[in-house]
Amino acid sequence: MRNAATILIVEDDERIRNYMRTVLASCDYAVLETGNAKTALSIVASHNPDLVILDLGLPDRDGQELLSEMRQWSRVPVVVISARGLEKDKVTALDNGADDYITKPFGTDELLARIRAALRHGRQRNEGERTVFSGNGLVVDTERRIVRVDGQPIHLTQIEYKIVTLLCRNSGKVLTHDYMIREVWGPFSNCDTQLLRVNMANIRRKIEKDPTMPEYITTEIGVGYRMIEMD
Amino acid sequence: MLRRKGGNRRERMFLFSWRDAGVTALILAAATLLCFLMRNIGDGENYVSMVFLFAVALVSRTTSGYFYGVAASVVGVFGVNYAFTKPYMALCFSLTGYPLTFITMLAVAVLISGMTTQLKRQVRQNYNARLEDMRANLLRAVSHDLRTPLTSISGAASVLSRNLGKIDEKRQRALLNEISGDAEWLIRMVENLLSITRINAERASVKKVPEAAEEIVSEAVRKYRKRFGAPAAEIAMPGELIMAPMDAILIEQVITNLLENAALHATGATWVRVTVKKQGCEAVFEVEDNGGGIEPDKLPVLFDGSASSYNDSAANSRSMGIGLSVCRTIISAHGGTLTAENVPGGGARFRFTLPTEEGEGHAQCGNHTHR
Repeated sequence: MRNAATILIVEDDERIRNYMRTVLASCDYAVLETGNAKTALSIVASHNPDLVILDLGLPDRDGQELLSEMRQWSRVPVVVISARGLEKDKVTALDNGADDYITKPFGTDELLARIRAALRHGRQRNEGERTVFSGNGLVVDTERRIVRVDGQPIHLTQIEYKIVTLLCRNSGKVLTHDYMIREVWGPFSNCDTQLLRVNMANIRRKIEKDPTMPEYITTEIGVGYRMIEMD
Repeated sequence: MLRRKGGNRRERMFLFSWRDAGVTALILAAATLLCFLMRNIGDGENYVSMVFLFAVALVSRTTSGYFYGVAASVVGVFGVNYAFTKPYMALCFSLTGYPLTFITMLAVAVLISGMTTQLKRQVRQNYNARLEDMRANLLRAVSHDLRTPLTSISGAASVLSRNLGKIDEKRQRALLNEISGDAEWLIRMVENLLSITRINAERASVKKVPEAAEEIVSEAVRKYRKRFGAPAAEIAMPGELIMAPMDAILIEQVITNLLENAALHATGATWVRVTVKKQGCEAVFEVEDNGGGIEPDKLPVLFDGSASSYNDSAANSRSMGIGLSVCRTIISAHGGTLTAENVPGGGARFRFTLPTEEGEGHAQCGNHTHR
């Protein structure tokens, strides 16, 4: 398959940029690259890439700032590069409109997987709302309000159902704890993450074949939850 | 920096604390009550000074700094004068022996407060010395453990760049594999070291939020399975949800290190099992394998970072000295304990605990983890 997609790499370290360019070019992506925030903005505006890979630590400007400015006029999918341990940066980036993140140091497989997923989300964004989600035996039908695992109907409470459908509508994406709480309990609730975790534990005991090794909803430690890709 | 710290400590001596004020009030109230009771029985007066002297000593010992002890002695003197010496319920300063009572109480207060403060300082110094020791050990282990893979990486890379095309492809591929293997190892080691920077150095504490134990264990095991084919990892978890306040990134690191330790050092192990259970007010995590166990002479120094790879014969298994000592640092910063033992049937078991309740003063838990 030809990967006609154009990817912009915004990364100040030349060696990492070289490495990513080599990997992406070998997978037939068209690659643009820059080491600073200023050119990054003008390339996004002029070349309209299909995906941006953004390192948060740029020399001329804060990556988060760049991200929120770009979000004011572009919906291009953005994958952020952040270091492990800086979970707060990841949460902020997701809140600022990043689609996903990748943790430094990362491997080639992980990089390519994240790029493929983010490109798919970019395409899906233009397809409009779906009502039926399915993947790996889990089926969620939001029109008929039915959740099934391998054909067996699953009974979820109101809150649990809200959480599952929220994750389905954003399948493949990481949703932060705060975002989920806002969406499920409303913007003015003073609900804490503990309640979210309790609900998540209950959901997993109902839908996962092995709740100790969840396959549908995975945990992104310190950040949030991610539903597998659903078709 | 040092001067600022000292200043803080001096300030703390006179800092108002609800706990200390409460303790002082409680002890003095108890002393007063006791004296009233004794007076009702009939043979009060002689013991009043003794009871209050004891109360003052107690206050000085249990509160920090001089303030509360001295305050208690002043209150004590006036209390005794007012309530328990004739004339009752009136102050009278012409009593014989009055200055002596006052001076005695004051002297006891100052003396014991001083001793307590000194003791606390000594404990802190001991703790700092231990921390310093641990740091030195860690540094020694690091310099040994980092140099080896760095040497092999730069060596293999220079062989490749000089002889590219001259040596056969199989040999080249082997060198490349060595480079990436050693780089992976370095990445894990550096992540371990960096995780220590998340611990507040001055207070040896971490930022804790309630987390679900199952989520952390699942993710650690998921990553382990990606990296190692054998021994097979299992999870044993109760039906109930176990929550504990923790820095999730660090606890994941601990579980990862313990699993990796089993994979690299448990000779002949076919499985490694992570168990989580709740015991009283503690979440107990166990990582157990069915391998050859830990050599008995290594057990006591396992977590010091000094159990280095000197007698690790297997060429491919590098020392886990750093990993295990990082584990211990992380767990003690959480107020928990980390232990290792050999299982009677063969194999090793690492166990660590995390308090499930935040803060002190949970009487029903009874876990007093003062350092």
